[in-house]
Amino acid sequence: MLAAPITSTLAVTWRQYVVWRKLLRSSIATNVLNPILFLFAFGFGLGRFIDSMQGVSYMAFVVPGMIGYAAMFAASFETTIGAFSRFYQQRNWDAVLSTPVKLRELLFGEVLWAALKAMISAVCVLVVGWLWGGIPSLSGALIALPIVFVAALGFASYGLVATSMAQGYEFFSYFFTFWVTPMFVFCGVFFEIDRFPIYIQAISWVLPMTHLIAIIRPLTVGLPVDMAMMAFHLGYSVALTIAAFAIAFLQIRRRMFD
Amino acid sequence: MEMTSIIAARDLVKRFGSFQAVKGISFEVEQGHCIGLLGPNGAGKTTTMRMIMGLSTVSGGTLEVFDIPVGAMTRGIKSKIGLVPQESNLDSDITVSENLKVYGRYFGLAANVIGERVPRLLEFMQLHERAESRVTQLSGGMKRRLIIARALISDPELIILDEPTKGLDPQARVLIWNQLLELKRRGKTLLLTTHNMDEAQRLCDRIIIVDHGEILDEGSPRDLIDRHVLGHVFEVGKPLPAALNGKHWEHEDIGDAVLFYVRSSDDFVAGLPDSADFIQRPANLEDVFLRLTGRKLREN
Repeated sequence: MLAAPITSTLAVTWRQYVVWRKLLRSSIATNVLNPILFLFAFGFGLGRFIDSMQGVSYMAFVVPGMIGYAAMFAASFETTIGAFSRFYQQRNWDAVLSTPVKLRELLFGEVLWAALKAMISAVCVLVVGWLWGGIPSLSGALIALPIVFVAALGFASYGLVATSMAQGYEFFSYFFTFWVTPMFVFCGVFFEIDRFPIYIQAISWVLPMTHLIAIIRPLTVGLPVDMAMMAFHLGYSVALTIAAFAIAFLQIRRRMFD
Repeated sequence: MEMTSIIAARDLVKRFGSFQAVKGISFEVEQGHCIGLLGPNGAGKTTTMRMIMGLSTVSGGTLEVFDIPVGAMTRGIKSKIGLVPQESNLDSDITVSENLKVYGRYFGLAANVIGERVPRLLEFMQLHERAESRVTQLSGGMKRRLIIARALISDPELIILDEPTKGLDPQARVLIWNQLLELKRRGKTLLLTTHNMDEAQRLCDRIIIVDHGEILDEGSPRDLIDRHVLGHVFEVGKPLPAALNGKHWEHEDIGDAVLFYVRSSDDFVAGLPDSADFIQRPANLEDVFLRLTGRKLREN
């Protein structure tokens, strides 16, 4: 018998899974096909003009970036548009909180599910990228996956902060424009950030995606890993995640119960 | 014998900013009873129910459910309460039985307990033939029945129902009333809000009439009728017959007619001329409600 907070959290995650099974098709289209299409664009399009980046083939460079992006996009989508409609429109959160489930368990169940969905997307990109020769070190890629999962817990939590502030769906256009897209552009997903002027690079290093890619790219490429730097990047992501989750929790508690 | 109170509110207050939605109300809900919370829209009924469920913080006074302040409610206590909300918050993309199974997990119920209860609850609310239908395919009445079945998944002792028959046809309403009465027979405690006075009169042992966040009166339907509208209502058209002027009957001017509330209809009729234009009927809870809360529209 698991402790009550764990069963409550898993009950929330389980609910998402049951609903997701029914909506599998649209879910796969958004979260899996979308990053794979990007991969094709980069592989066939850009890849032809770029021999190598940071000393590796462009595919080997871009695949870990796309793994990170896929995870980030899926987790962000789930805890923004998805969670907001459960909170605001379907009133699912009201239903859950009428049971012994507590708010923090509900929110962690949401985050956990978003991270699991992020993993589905990340693994699909990894498999396609590997078949395409974009994963020189498969063992490194397998080590990267749990790190992607930890980062995805963060991406889900940042989305939850946006949900805690949103008054309507329009609000998320800000979130996607000022948070999701910059993480695609400024964090080394499809080209190296040292090409930016230094003040843009400063922004890059604030964004958690940069830290995720800094960890997983050497792993999938098969470069030696600097453990201290890895600990630093991971620590930064984890600290930001905890802060975001706490902010989201406090704001949603105020909004729902006061 | 001392009655056990399942809910006890003392000077309960709820503030939203500077607005006071509940202004220091005190009431009790005794075990095994059905208590009706009646009031116009915006009276503070739903807010009170949300506070009882722990879904809204208490701004002042005390509120105890199963002898525990709502702020300190444990999982065990929460499991003893079933909520039927006013608005449907079912999971519309999954099936009827999946809705119950998913909900049962929130209570930490074991899979075999859920598996055994789901068919029983579907049977109880006459939804067993729709077990595998998606919620989107259900009629409004079926959805309400499913929400009630869902509230029963943890076998709660207290069931809170916020307008359980809102917008339903008479057949669906009667089915729900019968099942709620059955729950009462099994010893469950019920707290419900409704705008349907017939429903309140049939189901409730005691009625609390609230308006503007305050309790106006409470008592059994019979007592309330007796106290406020006496027993018989005569609706007499204007101009009033001269015989009625100067006599001290309880009355209320409703525009083109006057309502007289009388205890003995014979005495009243005796004083009327044969030509008088009137309608006579037994007084009901609706008369009490309108008398206490006024006839002005509340939609503004």
